[in-house]
Amino acid sequence: MSPAAAERIYRLLLRAYPPDFRAEYEREMVLLFRDQCRESDVRTLGFWTAVICDVARSAPALRMEAWRQNTRTMEVIMKLAAILTVLLGVLGIANAVVEWVAGSKGAIDGAYVLAVVLGVLASALLLGAGVAILLRRQQAARLALFASLVSVVAARLLFPWMSILSQLVGFGLPVGLLITLYWPRRAFPAGAA
Amino acid sequence: MRKRQAGRPPEAYLPLPPATFHILLALADGELHGYAIMKGVAARSEGSVRLGPGTLYGSLKRLLKAGLVEECGERVDPERGDERRRYYRLTPLGLSVVRAEARRLDAMVRAARRKKLLGVRPA
Repeated sequence: MSPAAAERIYRLLLRAYPPDFRAEYEREMVLLFRDQCRESDVRTLGFWTAVICDVARSAPALRMEAWRQNTRTMEVIMKLAAILTVLLGVLGIANAVVEWVAGSKGAIDGAYVLAVVLGVLASALLLGAGVAILLRRQQAARLALFASLVSVVAARLLFPWMSILSQLVGFGLPVGLLITLYWPRRAFPAGAA
Repeated sequence: MRKRQAGRPPEAYLPLPPATFHILLALADGELHGYAIMKGVAARSEGSVRLGPGTLYGSLKRLLKAGLVEECGERVDPERGDERRRYYRLTPLGLSVVRAEARRLDAMVRAARRKKLLGVRPA
C-alpha cells in the first residue's frame, strides 16, 4: 500500500471525529499522519492497529464532549425535564386530593393523613423545582428536589402501600434531576487520555 | 495570551491524565508543533507512551480550552521543511499546573521509596 492510499484511508477514519474538531484539527492530524507514514511501514498490521486504536480511543470521547458541551442540547433537555417535573407536581397534588376525598369517606387514620400531606408537599416541591430550573435558579431547584425526596421517603415509610408508579416518580425524578444538576464539568474528563 | 481561569488554583486541575502530563512536560522545553510533541513524548517515555494524532490533538484541544496551552502561530519547521505547522506553548498557568503535578508525583515516589517499594530488586 502506498502512503497516498494510506492517507486516503486515514481521511475516511477522521470522519469518526466531531465536525467542529475536524474543521479545527484535520489538516494538522493529516500532516502528523504523513510524518508517521514516512517513518513507519504502512503495510504492517501493527501500524494500522495503532492508528485504529487511536481513533477508537479518542473519537468517542471527543464526540461525547462535543455533545455535552452543546449547551443548546442540554438546555432543551433541561427545559423538557422541568416541564415534565411541573406537570408531575400538579398531577401529584391532584392525586393526593383524590386520595384524601376517597379516604375521608371511611375512617381516616392519622398516619394516612400525614402521608397524604407529605405527598402533597413532595408534589408541590417538585413543581417548585421545575419552575426553578426553568428560571435557571439551580440552587433553589436543588434544595426543592432534596426536600421533595425527603418528603417522599417519609410518606413511603408512613404509607407502605404507595403505588409503584408514585414511588418511581417520587424517587426517580428528583434523583435523576439532582445527578444532572450536580454533574461535574471537569477540565479533563476522566476518560480523557 | 489567554486569561488565567479565575479562581482556579493549579491543584484544581490535578491529577492530570498521563498523556496530558506528557504533553505539558514536552512543551516545558519551548514552542513545539504536534509532531515534535509526539516525538518528544515517545523519546522521554522510552517508547512506553505513544500518542496518535487523535489522542494528541484531543488533549491539545482540552488544554487550549483550559488555558494551560496557547497557540503561537504557524510556521515551517526548518528541520522538516515542508508545510506550515501550528506551534503550541505553555501558558504561565500551564507551567504552574505541570509543576504542581510533578510535585504530586514526586511526593508519591518518595512515599513509595520510604516503604522500600522502589530501588529494591523484585523477589
